[in-house]
Amino acid sequence: MITFNLPDLGEGLPEAEIVSWHVSEGDTVKTDDPLLSVETAKAVVEVPSPYSGVIARLHAQAGDIVATGAALVDFAEAGSVARQPKGSPEPEATMPEKEDAATVVGNVPTGGGLLQETAIAGGGRRRKGGRVKATPSVRTEARRLGVDLADVPATGKNGQVTSGDLARYQNTVAKPRPAHTSPTPGRSEALRGPRRAMAQSMTQHRNEVALCTIFDDADIHEWIMKRDFTARILRATAAGCSRAPALNGFFNAQSMSHQQESRVDIALAVDTDDGLIVPVIRHVEEMTLDQIRDEVARMKKATLDRTVAPQDMVNYTITVSNFGMLAGRYATPLMVPPTVAILGTGKLQHDVVAVMGGIEVHRRIPLSLSFDHRCITGGEACRFLAAVIDDLEKPQ
Amino acid sequence: MAEMTLIDAVTTALAWELEHDPRVVVLGEDVGVNGGVFRATAGLQARFGADRVQDTPLAEGMIAGVAIGMAAQGMIPIPEIQFMGFIYPTVDQMINHAGRLRNRTRGRMSCPMVLRAPFGGGIHAPEHHSESTEALFAHMPGIRVVIPSSPARAYGLLLAAIRDPDPVVFLEPKRIYRLNKQNVEDNGKALPLDVCYTLRQGSDITLVTWGAMTFETLKAADQLARSNISCEVIDLATISPIDYETILESVEKTGRLVIVHEAARTCGVGAEIAAIVAEKGLYDLNAPIRRVTGYDVVMPLFRREMDYMPSVSKIVDAVRETLQD
Repeated sequence: MITFNLPDLGEGLPEAEIVSWHVSEGDTVKTDDPLLSVETAKAVVEVPSPYSGVIARLHAQAGDIVATGAALVDFAEAGSVARQPKGSPEPEATMPEKEDAATVVGNVPTGGGLLQETAIAGGGRRRKGGRVKATPSVRTEARRLGVDLADVPATGKNGQVTSGDLARYQNTVAKPRPAHTSPTPGRSEALRGPRRAMAQSMTQHRNEVALCTIFDDADIHEWIMKRDFTARILRATAAGCSRAPALNGFFNAQSMSHQQESRVDIALAVDTDDGLIVPVIRHVEEMTLDQIRDEVARMKKATLDRTVAPQDMVNYTITVSNFGMLAGRYATPLMVPPTVAILGTGKLQHDVVAVMGGIEVHRRIPLSLSFDHRCITGGEACRFLAAVIDDLEKPQ
Repeated sequence: MAEMTLIDAVTTALAWELEHDPRVVVLGEDVGVNGGVFRATAGLQARFGADRVQDTPLAEGMIAGVAIGMAAQGMIPIPEIQFMGFIYPTVDQMINHAGRLRNRTRGRMSCPMVLRAPFGGGIHAPEHHSESTEALFAHMPGIRVVIPSSPARAYGLLLAAIRDPDPVVFLEPKRIYRLNKQNVEDNGKALPLDVCYTLRQGSDITLVTWGAMTFETLKAADQLARSNISCEVIDLATISPIDYETILESVEKTGRLVIVHEAARTCGVGAEIAAIVAEKGLYDLNAPIRRVTGYDVVMPLFRREMDYMPSVSKIVDAVRETLQD
């Protein structure tokens, strides 16, 4: 049997009036169930049960005035003397039974444990060094890439690894990416046909060729036929090959051998919707301008019709690319190994040119001559280009 | 060396200063004859007399105002407010006068007072008796806010607060007033203000908390240690101004931060700590900062108050989530 006395509910008030009981004798109650309502000088307060158990006896009736500390309820078979608030963060704490151990409002738990602690007063200064510094976004990216940030040289203002540092590290170290990384989601298409050939030949070019490009212009002010570009350029290329035969041929990187050709078979790069197609005009060195013009027209048509035969696209000795149909004066055109030279012609312009006695406006063809410096000297290339210009500047 | 609870430590520190400094005066509702609503001043009036330990009318604004006047004239008043919910009438006096006296008089006057009040929930009290509104005072310039979390710090920090020449709001976590005893030497030695106290050193994550929540936080750290998670537990102790150097130093080491407080989340002191770490410690963070706090609601009555309060399991969950980021 446990007796629950009326606690001090109202800041030291000596007594309280019972408004109503919420339980009867014989009821089973749980801790925190409301037992009764009492009115103090301040308010009507609900008094929760301090124990779980069966109510054996109520010592007062509704309307009675009970002195603080007087017996209120007897509990039979009280579950636990220790009153634990539900979900108490401090389970070993017990609500006090000794009246003066508590506040007059609420219940202050007591533990009885002896606190052992080591408290280090702060105020220290931050160390320099220590862990790698980086923004959370850089750390996330590093985790995704499988990079240990400690390996990445930091250039940030606060010594932090920046996103740029991480990218640089990735590029220079070129570690294989972990298998789980993939390109950003989207539709990708495998290259086919001429584009695939371009990808392969350009990769080969980049891996092998020592590229050098010379730029100049041919003044075509004197031309009689104003619109005869392709044929004139092919004839001029043949003239260049005649003056500097080294550019007309092949270079074998494995045997380190240079093979000059007497035939001038010119590959003419033609832009189509399917990519770059390069038909070959053969033996240009033997043709008249009219023959060249006819052959170019026939080959261009075949190309655009896609009826050009495979054998008409291989085994050429030099390349011409008229890239400047729309825009672009100069470029660094790339030849396809094993050939060693390519002549690019840019967009025709009306240029202000200095002439004897003043200035005039002339049409000029911008020329870009790329050559493989592994086997061609700058002098040979310049002689080639000079011959091209000489031929182009003829009236017809 | 004597074993004492947190409230014993408060009483002991008050007695020390009453005995050693004649300027010290304790005043408040029922602090004299009754010994205080929580008995923090029990026996002090009998020992030091009614001039030094004064009962006041039930008027908190007046209590604070009288204390400010005493402080301005060379005394060291220590007013007590019975509960945090009754502290609001003092806010006008504290903000408009206590926090400004030094500035207003261009340094000729200061306001050496300590406004004591119990705060926090968990004792099954009625409305107005359980809130944690320390952020109100932390936001106000010129007022220091101090919260002890152990008997030793209650003793040492209260002495320091009384000896500080400027106003201090000293909030006592009433849920742990009598929870545990600690060996505290009553030697009049103060502890430093404006610094954090590192209660446990660890390497995986930093937990910052204060007041009664240090107990849940330390328990959570214990529980996590069994999973080989090493928590550094920091007791903020001085809520304003914040010793952010200690917190930043710890975050530099661990890269992760969880802040635990009983007060409602929005504009709580945890928000300020998170902001400071975001400003000055961003490059050290491995994961987002998390807060385990009370909810943005009126503090519930006792039947629901434990659901409101941050629990050990809520803290453990937050730590585990933060470690997974």
